[in-house]
Amino acid sequence: MAMAALRREGRRLAPLISPRTITAVRSSPLYPTLEDEGPLGVRHISTQVVRNRMKSVKNIQKITKAMKMVAASKLRAIQTKTENSRGLWQPFTALLGDLPSADVKKNVVVTISSDKGLCGGINSTSVKISKGLHKLNSGPEKETKYVILGEKAKAQLVRDSKKDIELIITELQKNPLNYTQVSVLADEILKNVEYDALRIVFNKFQSVVSFVPTVSTVLSTEIVEREAESGGKLGDLDSYEVEGGETKGEILQNLAEFQFSCTMFNAVLENACSEQGARMSAMDSSSRNAGDMLDRLTLTYNRTRQASITTELIEIISGASALEG
Amino acid sequence: MASNAAVPFWRAAGMTYITYSNICANLVRNCLKEPYKTDALSREKVHFSISKWTDGKPEKPSFCSVFIRSLHLPDMVANL
Repeated sequence: MAMAALRREGRRLAPLISPRTITAVRSSPLYPTLEDEGPLGVRHISTQVVRNRMKSVKNIQKITKAMKMVAASKLRAIQTKTENSRGLWQPFTALLGDLPSADVKKNVVVTISSDKGLCGGINSTSVKISKGLHKLNSGPEKETKYVILGEKAKAQLVRDSKKDIELIITELQKNPLNYTQVSVLADEILKNVEYDALRIVFNKFQSVVSFVPTVSTVLSTEIVEREAESGGKLGDLDSYEVEGGETKGEILQNLAEFQFSCTMFNAVLENACSEQGARMSAMDSSSRNAGDMLDRLTLTYNRTRQASITTELIEIISGASALEG
Repeated sequence: MASNAAVPFWRAAGMTYITYSNICANLVRNCLKEPYKTDALSREKVHFSISKWTDGKPEKPSFCSVFIRSLHLPDMVANL
């Protein structure tokens, strides 16, 4: 009995020891006949492939778990920042309103996306919304251009809207996001792009699992004045008194510039926050999937092993009983 | 208020309100005492890469990584 057990051990170890089996397994798609030969006396199915697969799945699970942790801690830091930054655009919206329906000639769609992937569908949503806005605002005598933030939207928009791209800005998140950085960036956009209306597309952070694709509109001074003359919410602007020696146009220009940089700051933060949230939930589900896969593989592996052990036992017993009988 | 009279000057210098307010913010941050000063100044690190596209082709990307300090502040203050 002891000899039998030893032989069984030896057989199971054989695929590990003998280099011939390993090459046989590796080159099995090319030389399927080699598999049949196998090491001496081995007749059970090789479990090497399953074992390797299990190992790699386990490693992937470790990685996704670690990424989830990292995303969770980054999210916590950026979430407070984002919630605080909402106070920056709210007064502007209260004063100037948000006019997404303003019909102007030169439209600029500012698409905000992330530089890194593995964060669910937030980038493709903002690209989709941007394309929709582009279609909505294009027509005769009108033009719509893209300003793209982030590698991911760039990769998607370069494919079919090459001609309409005006500016691409990347590597935004090397340092933690701050207002100075975003305002310098907004300044670059203002200097390099001619616009009547800037439409900023981003994912607004609601909770770790829900992000709302959002458009905020920043109008240029002329358009604000035009809209103010035609009444509506902007018509109230006339009731404000202007202090100092400045004209209303100057004030409005300063205000529009500042509004753009504030809105951009909030948008970039909201999008970064959504990115971390989306990455967290994506990594959570992928580690769960890896766990499920591992369970299934383990089951298959154990079943195969048990089957080969049972076969061997049957052989031994029947051999012994043949000798006795 | 000094800023009221200054507007035409910084506009003429080709600055936008954003640049102007950033310079003002930098001046205020520099007035802080240590250790708050380094902390506040670390919040104005700027780094991104920007590339202009014309007719579906990218031009050479440039890296924008400036500290406001490097904007020739003394000259600008002298202009004010």
